[in-house]
Amino acid sequence: MKQVLLLIGSVLSFGLLVALIPYSSSQLQSSIASAPQPLAVDPVVLRGLQNQYKGLKKQLAQFTPHQHYILVDTARNHLYVKRSQEIVLDAIASTGSGVVLDKPGEGNTQWVFDTPRGEFTVQSKLTHPAWVKPDWAFIEEGLMVPKNPADRVEQGVLGDYALGFGKGYFIHGTLYTRLLGKNVTHGCIRLNEDDLKSVYQLARVGTPIMIF
Amino acid sequence: MLLVQMLFMPLSIILSLVLLFSVPGWAAEGEAFPDLDMNDPVDLREGSRVLEEELKLAARPQTYLLIDLVSGVIQIKARGVDLHQLSIAAWTVTELPRLTGIFRLTARPPVVRRKIDPSATTEQEPISLSDMPTEYRLSFTPAMTMGVESAAEQGAMGWIHAKSRKAWKQLRVWRQHLGGVQSSSEAPTLNITLPSEQAQSLAWSTVDGMPVVIRRPSEP
Repeated sequence: MKQVLLLIGSVLSFGLLVALIPYSSSQLQSSIASAPQPLAVDPVVLRGLQNQYKGLKKQLAQFTPHQHYILVDTARNHLYVKRSQEIVLDAIASTGSGVVLDKPGEGNTQWVFDTPRGEFTVQSKLTHPAWVKPDWAFIEEGLMVPKNPADRVEQGVLGDYALGFGKGYFIHGTLYTRLLGKNVTHGCIRLNEDDLKSVYQLARVGTPIMIF
Repeated sequence: MLLVQMLFMPLSIILSLVLLFSVPGWAAEGEAFPDLDMNDPVDLREGSRVLEEELKLAARPQTYLLIDLVSGVIQIKARGVDLHQLSIAAWTVTELPRLTGIFRLTARPPVVRRKIDPSATTEQEPISLSDMPTEYRLSFTPAMTMGVESAAEQGAMGWIHAKSRKAWKQLRVWRQHLGGVQSSSEAPTLNITLPSEQAQSLAWSTVDGMPVVIRRPSEP
């Protein structure tokens, strides 16, 4: 009991001590953000600053896409097609699992199954795409990598459409629709049949894809 | 003549209404900083400085962070487009005047990745947002450290723990100032408290080399 009282007393004194510490001039807290500002400003200077700010804002707006663009939230597994601030399509997706696979015979190198983050563009639009299975697709199943390229081709697993955005990454369909909304892919972005068709119709080669 | 005027009158009214209510494309993008006081020169200068930095970042195909300490949000952006927003619950900073320019992420929390075992019959669990840390440090170049902590601690013990930790940090700063330890060469430190899920979301979204711009509040 005495120890508990001692502990409470120590905590309270510690808190009181800290509350009395004045903040140094170089340290700022969120509470001062609303501090009042001095008045009396030269109107010419102010107008100049306002024009500069407006000009910069306009310049920045010129970088924003004026057509449709694709936005992918890999943390929440959602794909959006947007135009300006308007959401044209909100689709549940599956993105990269983040797991790794050792590359056999290559020391400590690994494949990392992440969906790449950043800005990309639609580079190709395919209908009835065939999957040309890369090495990892065989290795992760404990199979030998085939020597004949024709043995890598698998039909029907990517859905009716695929939109390539570089380095072998695609937005495509899936047979495993129950896994939509989860991070299960090798880096590609999977959609259901209807959403894939909509994205295919809305996007063109050059459409920006922003992934975070 | 009268007939022509009567025919064109409804058309001109419709046209006027369309023009009145139409919004130009750039206006639909919204304000860069909705809370910016257009009559405050300090606010305007800071807003313009941040926009100038952002213009450099938006010119390239990349995602970047805009930490807005005035609005209390972290924006994940690309090409000036706000991709995602995280709400800052609280923040503290040292060396505020030096938080200008573009900072690039050099170190972020390690992610424990599960490995696929081809001989195993069961599939490996993928990484999810819940695997991300809620408390971590991000290091940047030029030298700047960002401490991220979670505001999720619940209950009396959680409150005491959070307050003690904050107090301990405050005491360290105080001690440094009293002892004259802090010098002008010390790297700025920004400590940010986010709701737990958003702290994880930030850890998820950061990538090596990711650029960051900070909008600072005006000092009192």
